[in-house]
Amino acid sequence: MSKSVIHLENASIGFSPDNPLIKNLNLDVNQGEIVAIAGPSGIGKTTLLRTIAGLVPMLDGEMTLFGRNSKASRGELGYIPQRLGLIRHASVYHNVLLGALTSTAGAWFPFSFEARRRTLESIDAMGISEKKRTPIRLLSGGQQRRVATARTLAQQPSIILADEFLGELDEETMESVLSKVTNYVRTNNATLIVVEHDISRAKRMADHLLILDDGQLNPFVDQPIAMQISMRLDKELDI
Amino acid sequence: MSDSGSKESKSRDVDGDQVTSGDSIESKVDFIAIASRFWYSSRWFLLFIGLLVVAFRVTNSMDPNWGRLANTNNNLVTFFQESLWPPDWSVIEAQAYPPCLAAPGLSFTCSTAWLGMIETLKIAFVATILGMTISFPLSLLASRNLSPNWVSYPARFLLAGSRSLPSIIWALFFVIVIGFGPLSGILAMTVYTIGYLGKLQYETIEGIDRGPLEASKAMGHGWFERSFGVILPESANGLISQVIFMFEYNFRHGTVIGIVGAGGIGYYINLYLKFLQYDKVIAYLIIIFIVVLILDVVSIYARSLFTEDGDVRRPSWWSILLPPSMLRNKED
Repeated sequence: MSKSVIHLENASIGFSPDNPLIKNLNLDVNQGEIVAIAGPSGIGKTTLLRTIAGLVPMLDGEMTLFGRNSKASRGELGYIPQRLGLIRHASVYHNVLLGALTSTAGAWFPFSFEARRRTLESIDAMGISEKKRTPIRLLSGGQQRRVATARTLAQQPSIILADEFLGELDEETMESVLSKVTNYVRTNNATLIVVEHDISRAKRMADHLLILDDGQLNPFVDQPIAMQISMRLDKELDI
Repeated sequence: MSDSGSKESKSRDVDGDQVTSGDSIESKVDFIAIASRFWYSSRWFLLFIGLLVVAFRVTNSMDPNWGRLANTNNNLVTFFQESLWPPDWSVIEAQAYPPCLAAPGLSFTCSTAWLGMIETLKIAFVATILGMTISFPLSLLASRNLSPNWVSYPARFLLAGSRSLPSIIWALFFVIVIGFGPLSGILAMTVYTIGYLGKLQYETIEGIDRGPLEASKAMGHGWFERSFGVILPESANGLISQVIFMFEYNFRHGTVIGIVGAGGIGYYINLYLKFLQYDKVIAYLIIIFIVVLILDVVSIYARSLFTEDGDVRRPSWWSILLPPSMLRNKED
């Protein structure tokens, strides 16, 4: 039986207690699962990920990670924000190294040969070796997404939270990046929660597709009501 | 309004003509709409005019005696002709004592202007480096996106304290505590640099994109890694640019602190001011002006190396010194 790594119970998520974005949310994500979350813009998908990442305090309810009632430990959780969170003036190598250091070196002694090896491997896996020394600001949007993914893979976390990390990638690169990430998750029995706008892509990559609407998270089912939500999404996103 | 005229109450205007109150309401509404549109479109300009009026009224409240301005021109011409001009360039001649050991063509290096200028530059350089070394850790502590309030507010308090006194007062303080000389100048400028540069730095740090910090926090980085692994590279361009600006600033202020005996060219300016030798003072001021101009050009170029525009096209020396029309000929 799989172990639950993320557990939310009666969780209220948002910024104002009077008007939370998500109310009474119950969510269980098991080890080794890939969960995609879709929903209209501004509904709280990103805030949900940031809450799980420990960046936004929960308004109400209970959250446990790995059965513990505390934030993830150092290096346990990898986060790819919507705007990627890369250091624009630093090189690709530096950005990826920051990910690798969290699971290979102590906070006060940030030098590790293992981190260097892992960094170079991840950069190579994302096909951006020739850009290793290039500052992030000089890369294209797609290349920056690959760097953010490489940073997370170099970190080797147990949970990956990815916020629309496949946007701006051409079809071929997208397939390659997606296969690297899903391979990592399957091989290491890690957990991936991904916010994805493209329903068909989300269905293809995820074990479970959840739709966030009206402050509730519901499983996506191919029934008229689900179709309506999907159509509404498509319309909103102008797909 | 003709179709609804029957429903409106009737009244008479000043000439006795009958008008409807509906017309008057409508014109009132039009006036309000026009006035509000005018206010909205020119509110910033009106606000600026308002501020100017307030400044003028405040000056008047201090009883400024505007009549004195009438003699300004005459006084200026007299002062300029009788005291300032021509400058006495003996300040760039070698001093009689100690004997000048420089080669014949380099005897100006034994002049008070040269020695004072070099000392001022040294004070500015050392003070900037020391100030930067202390202000950077303090600015990290003072940044609210990096440190909790109980750490950031005391750090801000320290920085505010060190910049609340101008460098000349700090110079006076150190002259009293450790005596005359450049060391007092260095310490005074360093303390001021800590406060001034620290404020610029923590504002830069607080202004960086929150994305990298959030990603770093989520990954589990500690304060040290976030400061030196994320903040430092992300804001390095701005920080370096500010240090270069601070050096230029310190040089300009270094000329002033000499007045209270803290070394540098200000010492000589003060000396000749006391002897009322304004022609020598103006010679020093012209030299300072030229050095400030040179430093400004060097500073523009150096800062361009650390700004994002510099990645696209860095300015050449010519582009700083020459107007665009001449520059095109030069590039051709």
